[in-house]
Amino acid sequence: MKYADTYSKLADFGRELLNKKSLVEGLPLISKYVKDVIHADRCSIFIYDTQDKELWTTIADGIEKIVVSSESGLVGHTIEVKKPIIENNPYDNPLFLKEIDIQTGYKTKNIVTAPIFDSQRKIIGVLELLNKEDGFDNEDVKFMIFFAHYISGFLELTNLYMLENIKSDA
Amino acid sequence: MSKFKQIADFGQKLMALEDMDDVLKLISQEAKTLIDAQRCSIFIVDKENQILWTKLSDGISRIVVSLDNGIVGDTYQKQKPQIVNSPYTDDRFLHSIDKKSGFETKNIITVPIFDSARNIIGVIELLNKARFDFDEKDLSSLTFFANYVSGSLELILMGEK
Repeated sequence: MKYADTYSKLADFGRELLNKKSLVEGLPLISKYVKDVIHADRCSIFIYDTQDKELWTTIADGIEKIVVSSESGLVGHTIEVKKPIIENNPYDNPLFLKEIDIQTGYKTKNIVTAPIFDSQRKIIGVLELLNKEDGFDNEDVKFMIFFAHYISGFLELTNLYMLENIKSDA
Repeated sequence: MSKFKQIADFGQKLMALEDMDDVLKLISQEAKTLIDAQRCSIFIVDKENQILWTKLSDGISRIVVSLDNGIVGDTYQKQKPQIVNSPYTDDRFLHSIDKKSGFETKNIITVPIFDSARNIIGVIELLNKARFDFDEKDLSSLTFFANYVSGSLELILMGEK
């Protein structure tokens, strides 16, 4: 198993993650970790705000929020089908949003996504990795599914935290 | 201290543990505190032998039930939480366990624990809520809690194999 060693060390990552008190602190850690493990060039974590039906992500520093459409692109499709997607030829896939590459000047060669579910089995986010040298395979997806589930408790708890803070502020 | 802060602190403690017995003990303890119940058992699924088992904990000896037996077995079969507030009138309830342990079960709540592939790896069972019956609020708290601990449990069960 390609990731056997990673699984055995995952608890170390878990300990570090649970020291983070908020999403803003936790997201960059999650991104960096999963990117390094799978050997992808980039990672984005999209958080799905079910209340506002809004999908947002942060740029590298983890602070600035970017809202993206939850109904288009491969990430939107992940939410729709509630399953991971591997696309090693994105430019041949009509769902792929070429506009983003054109805007950013970054050339996407391959993509893998995995939905993140909360305890009620609602999608609370999507994990996306871009550009692995030889493309993504099923072992990568399996690890992504495991990892998405592993971090889901942290994400759900910080979501609840935020709601609680909003309520107590009001 | 807020409930959420309490769970975050618990999460950190949980991650620091490597031994299965310690993990199960800590999860039980936290589940009881969270819901304010008297006893907790964490049942682990053993598909090969078609059983659910617990470790010795909380003064309760090791319990083994078959995958289709009792309220815990039914939780496994239906893949859904169960609330039973009058167990002695429920056909699924296993009187024999109370008889053996001398403990009187007044009410029960169970929730399945799913792994990342959506297989049930365990069932959390709480007995005897301190006041009142188990309700929907307990159910949603415990469902959240089961998911929160599931990653650690999946990881530790992988290590045991």
